Amino acid sequence: MNWSDLTTAAPVVLAVLVAAAILVVDLALPGRRRLVTAVALVGLAIVAAAIVLLAQSGRHETAFGGAYTLDGLTTFLDLLFVAIAALTILFATDYLAPRGLPMAEFAAVLVFAITGAMLVAGSADLLLLFVALELMVLPGYLLAGFARNDPYSTEGAIKYFLLGSFSSAILLFGLAYVWGTTGSTRISDVAAALAVVAASHSIQPGLAMGLAFMTTGVAFKMAAVPFHYWTPDAYQGSPTPVTAYLSVGPKIGAFAIALRLFVGALGPLKADWLPVVIVLAILTMTLGNLVAITQDNVKRMLAYSSIAHTGYILVGLAAFAGGTKGLETQALQAVLFYGAAYTFMNMGAFAVIAALQRRPGVSSRISTFAGLGRRDPWLGALMALFLLSLTGIPPLAGFWAKAYVVVAAVQAGGWLTVLAVVAMLNAAAAAFYYLRVVVYMYMRDPEGEPVVSSPGLLFRVGLAATGIATLAFGLFPAFVTLAGNAASALGS
Amino acid sequence: MSLFGLPILGLITFLPAAGAVLVACMPSSRPDLIRRAALGTALVVWVMSLLLLAAFASGQAGFQYKEAFDWIPSFGIQYKVGVDGLSVLMVVLTTTLTWISILASFGPIKDRVKGYMISFLVLEVGMIGVFVALDLFLFYIFWEIVLVPMYLIIGIWGGSNRIYATMKFVLYTLVGSLLMLVAILATAFAYQAAHGGSWVGAFDYEQLQSFAQAGSFGNNFQLVAFVALFLAFAIKVPMFPFHTWLPDAHTEAPTAGSVILAGVLLKLGAYGLIRFAVPLFPYAAHTFAGPIIVLSVIAIVYGAVVSIVQPDLKRLVAYSSVSHMGFVTLGIFVFSAAALQGAILQMINHGLITGGLFLLVGVIYERTHDRTIAKMGGLAATMPIWATVFGFFILASAGLPGLSGFVGEFLVFVGSFGVAPVVAVASIIVMVLAATYLLWMFQRVALGTMSDFLRGLGDHLTDLTRVEAITLAPLVFLIVVLGIFPSVALDLLSGPVRGFLAAAGVPVG
Repeated sequence: MNWSDLTTAAPVVLAVLVAAAILVVDLALPGRRRLVTAVALVGLAIVAAAIVLLAQSGRHETAFGGAYTLDGLTTFLDLLFVAIAALTILFATDYLAPRGLPMAEFAAVLVFAITGAMLVAGSADLLLLFVALELMVLPGYLLAGFARNDPYSTEGAIKYFLLGSFSSAILLFGLAYVWGTTGSTRISDVAAALAVVAASHSIQPGLAMGLAFMTTGVAFKMAAVPFHYWTPDAYQGSPTPVTAYLSVGPKIGAFAIALRLFVGALGPLKADWLPVVIVLAILTMTLGNLVAITQDNVKRMLAYSSIAHTGYILVGLAAFAGGTKGLETQALQAVLFYGAAYTFMNMGAFAVIAALQRRPGVSSRISTFAGLGRRDPWLGALMALFLLSLTGIPPLAGFWAKAYVVVAAVQAGGWLTVLAVVAMLNAAAAAFYYLRVVVYMYMRDPEGEPVVSSPGLLFRVGLAATGIATLAFGLFPAFVTLAGNAASALGS
Repeated sequence: MSLFGLPILGLITFLPAAGAVLVACMPSSRPDLIRRAALGTALVVWVMSLLLLAAFASGQAGFQYKEAFDWIPSFGIQYKVGVDGLSVLMVVLTTTLTWISILASFGPIKDRVKGYMISFLVLEVGMIGVFVALDLFLFYIFWEIVLVPMYLIIGIWGGSNRIYATMKFVLYTLVGSLLMLVAILATAFAYQAAHGGSWVGAFDYEQLQSFAQAGSFGNNFQLVAFVALFLAFAIKVPMFPFHTWLPDAHTEAPTAGSVILAGVLLKLGAYGLIRFAVPLFPYAAHTFAGPIIVLSVIAIVYGAVVSIVQPDLKRLVAYSSVSHMGFVTLGIFVFSAAALQGAILQMINHGLITGGLFLLVGVIYERTHDRTIAKMGGLAATMPIWATVFGFFILASAGLPGLSGFVGEFLVFVGSFGVAPVVAVASIIVMVLAATYLLWMFQRVALGTMSDFLRGLGDHLTDLTRVEAITLAPLVFLIVVLGIFPSVALDLLSGPVRGFLAAAGVPVG
């Protein structure tokens, strides 16, 4: 290790320092929520600046003996993760205080989780990938159970923890098989060894087992059907800002693993894992949407909807595997753009729920939303914006996300065209439950005593940021070139 | 190209959006100001569309007043608009019905005026955009933009069962339009693959059309892509058996919503068939023409038969729309010049006549808060002007010669007789059914002795107000003009009709 390594990995190092700083500040000056929040936000801003400066300097190199890599993909995902952390903190400000939950621990644990996610994004070695994954998900279990006096929160956290650990073990098992077959944990070496295997058209049973275990493990992490059972309980039980985080952070993290692992290391075997991804995508979209239709609790509904969105992103991954050489970058670009668009619109939707639940005791049942468009026009309009974007109505971000994924799938042709049609039919079915919330907000009168909510300044900043992103990604689809640059890093 | 040095199509399309922003900035406490601003915007747009119509050179082939710039160059997606005779007529129909609808909403809509007017202006952007778009992707975007405001208009300002109706409307339309998106992407990709992987022009309608003319889309591809596009458009028209959303949406929508729904939204589907589905995939269009003609005839007959037994005024008009729009799809798919001219005229006539009927039903509903035919009777005694105008629209809808409804249906008969005499005869019989349900309805509502229900309302039954008369007058005028001088519209259509038949591979005489 030397200075050059540390410079290359500066964002990750800085993120650890930010988390430490939060804890130190809280130790020295306990109970100062605003100060802690400020430290966390300023710290994340510094991390973001470091990421941008590194990208500007044009450094594309590996560090720590080739275990960590800095390329366009790392930059793109790092920025996205920092944005997720900052938004989560903004949305937590108004939620934690009335419930007497500590801010410092929350922020520190969150930043540790993001550090893990950033490490995943930059992993060039299977071992680092696994360790980074654990650093990403362990704080997630803590966050899920953060409301420790709430039995639902505890239940959700335990389910999340048990199934999460289980899936990590399965993934590790798979990684071990791959190591055993290829003799290396370095992603580039694994890919090279597997290219030889792929050329010989004979996959040993050990490698097949490894592939199966890894697919299962990653599918758990990204909450793909049939490995999604932990999601609804974990999402519904968690404090709402945590749910906002869980619905995007670990999910984008899981897709980062998929990109580094399946696209990077297992790319040569893509014809072998393509059928599995197609089946997973169809199951995930369809089941996620169908179950979401029956939900009466908006948080739980959005949990199932996030499962469905996993399915749409998987369509992009399938298009990568099924497409020709020239199409690969385009498909990955679609995956990355979808991830970014989904992040902002989904966090926004959860943030509106959090805003309504500012006062403890307010449920996230759909009836809470009755008449919201009238009681609070801005909050109602924002929620409508997020929901329409999630539905995929042009010209919002969610529409372009779906469009790019479907373009890639249609271009890949064959069975993937069928997959594209299934995706579109699912999008139509999903309109039902998203618009049902709009119906409650605008077309029904409130039941009982109206819920008052006037979020604080920081919260409003967060809401505005997600709203603007949802609009801007849609109105200026040129944002996709950012994702394109990131995707070309993988187009080896 | 531009009019007076202005990008006229861009202005017509996006002025309503500017109006919507203006309205959004006004305080909700000043509904009168909001109403006037919305009406003013719609009137300015209307005048501009009339200028466009006047300046339009009807003899020329191809599109005029084109505007184009790259939008998403990496996929060859452009902002490209332009008009031919067909789209000019549709744009004018849209702008006319929009200001009429906004004016007709002055009285009935008292709640949340601001949101209502914004929805209407955004709706106008989408509708005009669909008719002028010359890029398939742009077309899709405008197509979807139409959906959201109409969803809100039915869902917020609609009748008692509005939520069911609006969800049904959205889900039906969305299933179709998402399939259409896949078809559009597949079409663009087929073009791109045939041009060495270059996306340039892959979504450009004119490029795609000449590509299709050269027979470059494979037959199997055509069949699949056509079915996807056709489903989207058939749901919107709506063709039997995809029509079930229509009676619900019409019945629950506020009056102005029904006017726009019948007047313009149904035309979007027919326009899509004429502009995109047939010219781009002529082989598939011919392959499926037989079944589509059968479905059209079923729609014509079924719509008329079901109309006879409807107990609700709006539902009756809604089912009659299914029947009338059946003539449009029939006229498109028999591939003859006369029938297509008739179909397009029928699109315009149906917009004017059904729009007027919905306005007149709305007048009654305003006063009685009821639309049940059985409760009406003898309205001619207290509302003579209303009854006269209502009778006029009834006769126009029944196809009385001299009024515009006759010309369109007549041309469809003439055009289809040469191709499929049985079909033409079956459709003519429906004229009798149409007269039956329309005149019987008129008799039960306007003639006879006054019902107890109406008598109980006493002084509430005032005749047409000045505003209501202003909304109906232009429709009456246009119905008479188009009935006596159909060549006003037909001259504009000669180019598009010729182009359509050439694209469909039918020899033009």
